[in-house]
Amino acid sequence: MERIFEFLFKYPPLFFEQGDFTFGAPTSVRLWLIIAGLLGAGTVASYTIARGKSTVTERSVMAGLRVMLLAVIIVCLLQPSLILSTVVPQQNFVGILIDDSQSMLLTDENGISRSSFVNDAFTSDESELVRQLSDRFALRFFRFSDVAGRIDSPAELTYEGTHTNLARALDVAREELSGVPLSGLVMITDGADNDNQPLAESLVSLQAAGVPVFTVGVGEETIAPDIELGRIEMPRAVLEGSSLTVDAVITQMGFGSSTVPLIVEDELRIIAEETVELGPDREPVVARIYFELEGVGPRRVTFRIPPQPGERVNRNNTRSVQVEVRGEREKVLYFEGEPRFEVKFMRRAVQEDENIQLVVLQRTAESKFLRLDVDDGNELEFGFPTSREEMYRYRALILGSVEASFFTHDQLQIIADFVSERGGGLLFLGGHGAFAEGGWQGTPVEEVMPVVLGPPTDDPQGFFAEVKVTPTQAGLAHPSVLLGAEQDQVRERWNSLPTVTTVNPISQVRPGATALLSGSGDQLALEQIVLAFQRYGRGKSIALTIQDSWLWQMHADVPLEDQSHEIFWQQMIRWLVDGVPEAVEAVTDQEQVEPGENVQLVTNVSDSSYIEVNNATVTARITSPTGMVEELPVDWTVQRDGEYSVEFRPLEEGEYEVEVTAERNGEILGSDKTYLYTASRDDEYFSASRHTQTLRRIADETGGLFYTPEDVSSLPEDIRVTGAGVTLVEELDLWDMPFLFILLLTLMGAEWGFRRIRGLI
Amino acid sequence: MQRRPRARVRRKRTEERSETFPDIEISQQSRRSRGPEHTNPMSRSLLHLPVLALVLFTALNTGCAPDSVDEPTYVAPPGADFMSQQAPPRVSRPSFVDPRGPRMNPNEIPGRYPFYWTRAIYSGWGRRGWGQSWATDYPKGDQQFLVVLKRLVRLNAYDWDNAIRLDDPTLRRFPIIYAVEVGGMDMTNPEVEGLRNYLDAGGFLIVDDFWGQREWDVFEYNIRRVYPDRPIVDITLDHPIYSAYYDIEEVKQVPAIGRAMYPAECYGCVPHVKGMYDEVGRLMVIINFNTDLGDAWEWAEDPGYPLEYSTYAYEMGANMIVYAMSH
Repeated sequence: MERIFEFLFKYPPLFFEQGDFTFGAPTSVRLWLIIAGLLGAGTVASYTIARGKSTVTERSVMAGLRVMLLAVIIVCLLQPSLILSTVVPQQNFVGILIDDSQSMLLTDENGISRSSFVNDAFTSDESELVRQLSDRFALRFFRFSDVAGRIDSPAELTYEGTHTNLARALDVAREELSGVPLSGLVMITDGADNDNQPLAESLVSLQAAGVPVFTVGVGEETIAPDIELGRIEMPRAVLEGSSLTVDAVITQMGFGSSTVPLIVEDELRIIAEETVELGPDREPVVARIYFELEGVGPRRVTFRIPPQPGERVNRNNTRSVQVEVRGEREKVLYFEGEPRFEVKFMRRAVQEDENIQLVVLQRTAESKFLRLDVDDGNELEFGFPTSREEMYRYRALILGSVEASFFTHDQLQIIADFVSERGGGLLFLGGHGAFAEGGWQGTPVEEVMPVVLGPPTDDPQGFFAEVKVTPTQAGLAHPSVLLGAEQDQVRERWNSLPTVTTVNPISQVRPGATALLSGSGDQLALEQIVLAFQRYGRGKSIALTIQDSWLWQMHADVPLEDQSHEIFWQQMIRWLVDGVPEAVEAVTDQEQVEPGENVQLVTNVSDSSYIEVNNATVTARITSPTGMVEELPVDWTVQRDGEYSVEFRPLEEGEYEVEVTAERNGEILGSDKTYLYTASRDDEYFSASRHTQTLRRIADETGGLFYTPEDVSSLPEDIRVTGAGVTLVEELDLWDMPFLFILLLTLMGAEWGFRRIRGLI
Repeated sequence: MQRRPRARVRRKRTEERSETFPDIEISQQSRRSRGPEHTNPMSRSLLHLPVLALVLFTALNTGCAPDSVDEPTYVAPPGADFMSQQAPPRVSRPSFVDPRGPRMNPNEIPGRYPFYWTRAIYSGWGRRGWGQSWATDYPKGDQQFLVVLKRLVRLNAYDWDNAIRLDDPTLRRFPIIYAVEVGGMDMTNPEVEGLRNYLDAGGFLIVDDFWGQREWDVFEYNIRRVYPDRPIVDITLDHPIYSAYYDIEEVKQVPAIGRAMYPAECYGCVPHVKGMYDEVGRLMVIINFNTDLGDAWEWAEDPGYPLEYSTYAYEMGANMIVYAMSH
C-alpha cells in the first residue's frame, strides 16, 4: 500500500506527514485565483452558450469535467511542493538499543530466534540496514536488560539478562548521547518489561529533548501453545499450622479447555495438588489451592504446572514465593460478660493450637472476674483494660455477651481504636448482652460492627430463634468457614451440622461488609446474618451472631470424632489475628532479587500505643547466606510518619535475614525480622510475547515510529525525515506527481467517453 | 488467678446470705425429708390413701355447687352514683407473681438461657425404691440452689428444675449434669452409653450425696461400665476448682438435715472430692463423696441447718458451675 502511495504521490506518506505543503509559483495566489476564475467562467460560458443537440444536463456535466481539468492544470502551474526538514548526512548520531535479555533467545513458531534478527540486521557485514544507517548517521550501540550500557558492536551481546527495564535503557541512552546531535534512538526488543519501572518519566524526558524513538518489535504477539503460571496471591507471613488459601492466576494459549495439575512444593516436598480447568485462550483463570506449612522459619514455596506436550515455553510454568512461617503465640483476649459454655468449648477447641494464647476474662459477678491463661498475676488484674497500652498488647479481642454499659466511654473508644489504629481483629459474639440487645447502638463501637443493629426486641421474654446455618456464596470461597472440607463439599458439611440458636435478630450487613454465613429458621422472619466481616481502619471486625456454637461439638447429632467445632474456632481465631501489625514492622520492596540488585527496606515504627514515632534510632542487621553480618542505619523518610527506609545490595545467592530494631531514648520500641531471597529469576519467560502496544506507545509519544522486522527497511530514510539533530530544509516538487498526470488523463478521458456515450461526437 | 484473702470472702458470703435467705420462697416441699428416711415408701403411700380420698371428695363437692344462691338485697344510698364516679377504677391484680420466668414448654427447644441446672435421671435400686434415688431432694433442692446461685453468680440461668434421662439425646444440650445418691445407681446399657458419649463430647458430671464403702462400690461399678480404665483421683485443694469463684481451703462433710451433730451417715466416713479426667487431663467428673451438698442447698433456709455447711455447699456449688463452664 505504501509503495502504491509512493508511486502515485512521488514520496512516501511520512514525507507528507512531516512536511509542510506550499506553492512555489512566484506571483500571488490572488492573481492565480483570478486567472483560474476567468478560465473557469469562460469554459462554463462556452458550454452554456453553445447550441446543438445536447441537453442542459449534458452540457453541465461536460462543463464540470472541463473546469476540473483546468483546475488541475492551474494547481500544477502553482508549483505545489513540500517543505521538509531532513537531517544532514553524517552529522548526526543514532543510538541503537538492543535487548540483551534471555527472552531474545526464544524462538518463534518458524524456529527462528528473536536474536537472529539482530544478528542478521546489525552484526552481519552484508546488512543493508546497517549500511544505510551508517551512510546517513553515526551509530552508537547500547545493550540493555536489567542494566543498560554502551557496547562497541552488537557482536558483544550475550542475551543473558534476567529481566528487562525499558525505561532505564532509554534514560541511559539519552544521557549518554545528550552532548551530540541526536537524530533518534532505535530500540530493538520484544517489549516485555518486567522491572515495573514506569515509562512515563523517561518518555517525558525524551519528548523534552526532542528525541524520537524508533521501536522495532521482535517476536510473536502470541506464543502458542503455552501455559503460563502468572501471579501468586499469598501472604508473606503466616502463623504456623495455619491453613493457607492461595490464588494462582493461570493463562493458556492454544490448549483449549483442558485440565492441568497445579503442584505445590515446600523444599521439594509436594504438599498440595489441585486439578485446574484452563480457560479460553488468553483468558486468565484463578485457581485456588489450600495447604499448610509445617515448621517455623522462612520457606520457599514453589508452584508448578508440569510441561504439557508441545508447549513452547516451559520455564513460565513455575513460580516460587518466599513466606515466613511464624511460630509465636498470638495473644487473643476473650472477654465474656457472664459464665457461658462458649468459653469452655472455645478454649477446648484451640487448646491444642500452640500458636494461639486465648486469654479469658470472664465476669462472674459484679466487679468479679475469672482470668484464665494469663501470663502472670498482674495481667488483667483490674478487669478489662483501661489503657491503650494494656489493650494493644493483644492482637485480637473477642467480645462475648457483655452489655455496652459495662464499659466506660474511654474503654469503648479504646475498643474502636484497637481495630482502627492498632489494626487488631475484633470478634463480636451473639448473646443476651451483645449487639442491639446489649445496648451497643450509639456507642463508638457500633460502627466497628460489620452488621446493622436494629431496635432491640420488645418481647419481654427476649428474642429467641433456632438457626440452620449455611455458607453464602462468598463464604464458600473463604478459608475461615471451610471446616477442612474440600471446596465442593463445604455446603454439605455445614448442612450436616445441627441447628444453633440466636437471641440477636440481625438481617443486614453494613455497606462494604461481607456475609460469609447466613441462617434460616421457623422463628426468623428474615434471613439471619450469622457471620459477617469488614475491614475497619487498619484492622478487621467480625460478627458471629449465634450464641451457642458449642452445639457443633456437644449436640447428639454430631459424631464424637467430628472436628468441625475445633476447626471452625481455630480458623476463626487465626483469621482474626492474621495480618495484625506489630509496633515495628520491616518489609522489603521485593521478596526475591538478583545478586547485586538494589533492595529497599522499609520499616514502620510505632510505640506501644501504636502512635508513629519519627525520632527513633532504627538499625537493620543483615545476615548473608554465608553468615556475613552488616549493620545499616535506617533513616526516617520524612514523607510519612513512622516510616524508615534504607537501600542495600545483596551480593550472595541464597537467603538473607534482615532484623530491624527500633529504639528511642534507650528504650527498645520493638524489632522485626524479614527474609529476602537472592537468585536468578525466570521473569524473562513470563509474558514473553511481543508487547506491541508498549512499543507503539514509546514511538508515538516521542515522535518515532514502530516497525517489525518485515518493514524495518524504511527505517533509515524515515529517520532522515523525522529525526532531530542537525537538519536542513528541502523543497520537494509535487507538480510532477504521477497522480496529477493520471488525474488529467482521467478527466479528459471522462469527457471524451461521456460525449461518445451520448453521441455528441 | 490470685487467691483472695479468706476473711474478705467470708464477709462477703455472710452478707450475701443475710440478704438472700429471708427472700427465698419455699413453695414446694421436697419429695422426701430426712426425718422418715428409712420409712418404707410403699407403707407411706398406703397411709396417705385416706387423705387423698378426702381431698378428692372435697374437690368434687366444690365443683358441684347449688344452682342458685340467694343474694342479699342491696339498696344504694342517695349519692352513691356520684361517689362511685369518684372512686378509682378497679385494678385486677394477680394474687401471686412468681419472680421466676415461665417454665419451658415441653416441646420447646432449650437454649433460650445459657445455663440449665440439669439433673441426671438414671435407673437405680436405691434406698427409696426402684428408680427413685436420682430424685432425692428433687425438685426443691434444684430450684432453691438456682435461686441462691443466681444471687451469688452473674448467671443467666433457667429458673426451674430440669431432669433428663441419661439415654435421652437431648442430654447433650446441657453440658453440666448433676447426679445424686449414686449409691443406688444401676444404669442400663443405653444409659451407660449415653453418659459415655456425653462425657466424651465435653459434658461435665457432678456427683453428690452417697456415703460409705458399699455405696462407693455401687457407684464405682457403674462408672467403670462407662470408663473401665480411667482412674478416679482425689482433687486436692490446690486444684483450680477450689478457687474458680470462692477460695475454698477445706473440704467439709456436709450433713443431711437433722444430722448437724453427727454429719457422717456412716461410721468413720471422711469427705472426699474426687475426680475423673479425660485423656488430655481435663476434669470431666467431680465426685462429692461422704457428703451431701444437695441437702444443704435444699435446707439452707431452715434455722436449724448449720450456716457453716450451707455456706460451704453453696461455695462449692458456685465453684463447680463456674469451673465447669469455663474449663
